[in-house]
Amino acid sequence: MKLLEELTPRQDRIEKKNSGLLTKFAGVLLLVTVVIVLFKTLGNASLFFYPVDEAVEKRVELQDRRFRVIGTPQPGIFETMLSGRQVLVFTLCTGDIYADVVHEGDPAELFNPGVPVVLQGVWREIQPPSVEKLLYSPNDGWHIETDSMVVKHDNDYRSDRAELESCSSE
Amino acid sequence: MTSSITTASKGSKILGMTSIVGFAVLVLLAFFATDPDIRFHPETGEEFGQFDAVRLLYLHVPLIIVTYLAFVICAIASAGYLVKLTFWWDSMAHAAGEVGTLTCALVLITGSIWGRPVWNTWWEWGDVRVMSTLILFLLFLGYLALRGAFVSPQRAARPAAIVALIAVLDIPLINRSVEWWENRTLHQKSTLSELKIEDLTLFTLMLGILVSLLVMSWLILHRFRVAWLEHVEFEQGIKTAIEERRQMDNED
Repeated sequence: MKLLEELTPRQDRIEKKNSGLLTKFAGVLLLVTVVIVLFKTLGNASLFFYPVDEAVEKRVELQDRRFRVIGTPQPGIFETMLSGRQVLVFTLCTGDIYADVVHEGDPAELFNPGVPVVLQGVWREIQPPSVEKLLYSPNDGWHIETDSMVVKHDNDYRSDRAELESCSSE
Repeated sequence: MTSSITTASKGSKILGMTSIVGFAVLVLLAFFATDPDIRFHPETGEEFGQFDAVRLLYLHVPLIIVTYLAFVICAIASAGYLVKLTFWWDSMAHAAGEVGTLTCALVLITGSIWGRPVWNTWWEWGDVRVMSTLILFLLFLGYLALRGAFVSPQRAARPAAIVALIAVLDIPLINRSVEWWENRTLHQKSTLSELKIEDLTLFTLMLGILVSLLVMSWLILHRFRVAWLEHVEFEQGIKTAIEERRQMDNED
């Protein structure tokens, strides 16, 4: 009897009306979500990672602009105080180009020499503090002041035979 | 009569049991037998690597492989439906789309859990690999919502098939993103294609892929059979209703 009622023209009209509304709702919801996702993605598109060599090359152009830089931290990382703030000082490299970094904030859990990191910050035309402690410093009177750090891990799972991302060995 | 209906068969029971045993072996290997990822810096001697977070690799990588496969099956079946217009193709597309959406959600979750200790972030909005995978998930979530928006499965089949064929185009974009936009993603390049994995680690990853394929096949098989039973019930319901209406007309 219930099925019979569902077959009547009136019920069919209701079904059509309801399914049309639901489809539109689902479509709008999906569209809004995809637009939000695209907006977030495109909004960050300018923050792609400059390798250290490119960041050094575009230093004047990038000055006072926040940018992301990717490179491999070198041995000789140390902590120090700068204007009452605890900072991490180290040298980053890509290929044979090096740049000094002064990072404020907690480093990533896997932060270590040889593990590439993506940092976000600005160029500063001043020597980093205690530059003489850095083993690979270019000593060029510049450093990158950063406050955000994420790790770009490699795809090597061969334990002992894994190749190390190290500029000094290149 | 209805209580005797089941989606299980001898073959599906064997498939299910094999999946369970395989998954148990995978858990043992992934979480107990394999070593954590630890390396030593040649200059400083300091430990580095992914440590225990590497164990998620045995789930995350197989899950994305079966996600790709499920969505490709969904797209092929959708194309099949648009050509043949039969319920078999539509049910296969629906079943594969549903299972693929589930595994895609698990890919995003396991990736996020792995990302916290390894990348130092739960989520990276600017990352092309992460975002294109999220878009794939949302597209197929929309695909399922579209199917659910129609009372009659037949009316949903055609628009859903078109959506599936469009959504699947995101897969090559996701897969190639680490090569095409290397400086826009934290995600590492493919380990398997460069063979930077060996011994027990490689074996466990391969087992993970095999087990995930078994589980996916098992889920798709049952979901397909459920869809088939729903279809039979729907058709039977219409026949019964027509019969009842004819009887009423005769009585009048």
